Amino acid sequence: MSHTFKTGGIHPHGFKTASPEIQFQSLPMTATVLLSQHLGAPAAPIVGKGDKVTRGMLIAESASYVSASVHAPISGIVNSIEDVVLPNGKNGRAIIIKADETEHESDICARVEYWTKTVPEASSRDLSESLSSKEIQSRILSAGIVGLGGATFPSHVKIGLKPTQKADTLIINGCECEPYLMCDDALMCTWAPQTVEGVELIMKAASIEKAVIAIEDNKPRAIKAMRSALDSAHNISVMPVKTKYPQGGEKQLIEAVTGRRVGSGGLPISVGVIVHNVATAFAVWQAVATGQPLIERIVTITGDIPAGQRCNYMAAIGTPLADFPYTLPEEARVIVGGPMMGRTAVRLDTPVTKGTSGLTILSGKGHRPIQPCIRCGACSDACPMGLDPYLLATYGRLRMFEEAAAADVADCIECGSCSWSCPSSRPILDFIRVAKQRSRK
Amino acid sequence: MNLIICSVVVLGLIGFAGALLLYATARKFRVDEDPRIDRIVSVLPDANCGGCGLKGCRDFAARCVSQGSLKGLHCPVSTAENIEAIASVLGVAAEATERHIAVVRCNGSCDARQELYTYDGALTCSIMDATGVGTRGCAYGCLGCGDCVAVCKFGAINIDPTTKLPVIDPDKCTACGACVNECPRHIIELRPAGLRDRRVWVACSNRERGALARKTCTAACIACSKCVKACPFGAVTVSDNLSYINPDLCKTCSKCVTVCPTGAILSSFPVLNKTAVQS
Repeated sequence: MSHTFKTGGIHPHGFKTASPEIQFQSLPMTATVLLSQHLGAPAAPIVGKGDKVTRGMLIAESASYVSASVHAPISGIVNSIEDVVLPNGKNGRAIIIKADETEHESDICARVEYWTKTVPEASSRDLSESLSSKEIQSRILSAGIVGLGGATFPSHVKIGLKPTQKADTLIINGCECEPYLMCDDALMCTWAPQTVEGVELIMKAASIEKAVIAIEDNKPRAIKAMRSALDSAHNISVMPVKTKYPQGGEKQLIEAVTGRRVGSGGLPISVGVIVHNVATAFAVWQAVATGQPLIERIVTITGDIPAGQRCNYMAAIGTPLADFPYTLPEEARVIVGGPMMGRTAVRLDTPVTKGTSGLTILSGKGHRPIQPCIRCGACSDACPMGLDPYLLATYGRLRMFEEAAAADVADCIECGSCSWSCPSSRPILDFIRVAKQRSRK
Repeated sequence: MNLIICSVVVLGLIGFAGALLLYATARKFRVDEDPRIDRIVSVLPDANCGGCGLKGCRDFAARCVSQGSLKGLHCPVSTAENIEAIASVLGVAAEATERHIAVVRCNGSCDARQELYTYDGALTCSIMDATGVGTRGCAYGCLGCGDCVAVCKFGAINIDPTTKLPVIDPDKCTACGACVNECPRHIIELRPAGLRDRRVWVACSNRERGALARKTCTAACIACSKCVKACPFGAVTVSDNLSYINPDLCKTCSKCVTVCPTGAILSSFPVLNKTAVQS
């Protein structure tokens, strides 16, 4: 009997067909680095137009406690700091870096050397003995690391516990319950020992004794790789969890692993748990062991495209989404992220950010028309938070925001299980989002 | 026979006792309501639109009576005669209030803004605004799903089938402000109806720099400030890359309408167009 959460949940088809090997997406000549790639205040630029930057250099500082710094993904000259379009068509401020041929060449050499020599050989084991928890925390802060599972919450905030808070378990989230996406799977298969060292670093930084790496049981290769990397690690275990969406949701995972339930509006720390993504652990390891800040991440390109094009790419932040090698099907729908929680992109000339876990490319066919609610209650059965989505959606549609707030709309984790399970294909989550946003004001 | 008389008497006594109880309860828990409230409600439009900022017409009437005057209270739906009738019930003089009309600050018709992508989500503006920029590519302009139409209790708004923009019927609009609050892009504005129904307004809400605004919409305000220079009364200002006409200073001479290079300034009355003036 594998571990899972009790309330709700759905079983969408996995579609995890991308190649688990990591390809290297070539560095762009022009990188567009957004200042707001995380939750919280946008970073404040510390370079100006015409300044020369090198790969990995700090170009924007975190502007407040809940914020993250941003580094240059390529060497070059700062072309401008201006508003650029985001995948949803709206605007966001970005630093645009242009490289010339020689800088581009030297960047490529440095990158090849980094991934073929530095990463396989480096180890943080010796370092972690000598480094104090404060030093690890400050390295995480200066490397601009954010939660790479998708929420992009600045990691130093989660790790830097207040004296009154005490955590006894660190859960490393390798569930990747979102259909199609495989970036965490690919990471665990390729760099398992480094990821485990990253987990040790987070344990040390937050002074936690025990860590559990939770992986959905549809990823046997990742489970095997992580287990074999655990040989020399203490107090860390790998726990296969049931394949069920949204297993990777923070509160759902805590329930599956520890049996504890986080109350309405509560944070994981209230039950003594901290949750981090596996990719975040790897980024922490990179920052401490190799000194490379968060300037590259794994992006899954998958969906209704030829099988050979479904790949996991290590891509520099700021690479345009249109640069990846894929052919769009007719009437394509491109989703940044997975099909459940991702947002449909209306522009593809936008860059990869720290939160871009993948591109799911679907052909437009198969969309069903929106029909009236038949009161079947499928959404209530599916809701992992035990809410009544049909009711919240109705409140959202009829602008009854006070009633929505009273019905705990703020607890919705926006996983999309309700919309997925609706036989009338109603956009339940869209209406709930409206209610959630407006009832907060 | 005896049985019949007995039951009639008993039932009659029970009925009498019940009547006494009801009478006593009614006396004990009687709520005195000012009869003026009912008289005011009878004059009010009974639309319960919330345009006054209160819960409905009865709440408005109760507030009028409790405060004894119309100070700070205004029913935008009522005509001047109705307001006078309310004032006479209260025994005060009615203040003259200016009639307002809602205007849509977007002129991005289908010709001006090309459709960028197909949208197949729920057809409400609030959801389209939450999911992205909207099919027409402008992050500030009308989304055309008609949330304002749905919320208007007076049937004053409809979507023009050719331009896909809301059109406000000035005869039906009561300036209750429901559409102003509903629009997720905040492009509807209440403006004074003006002398002889003459109104001039900037029909654009785009705060991008001119070049970018022009790229998304050919009818956008590009903040060229020609209107500012043309206005003899200093009613036009440009801030945040967007022109605004102050209705208190505007004398509706329509000079700004003729100079605007993108046609972003609209008027409620016919204006000789630019080329006609030149010839």
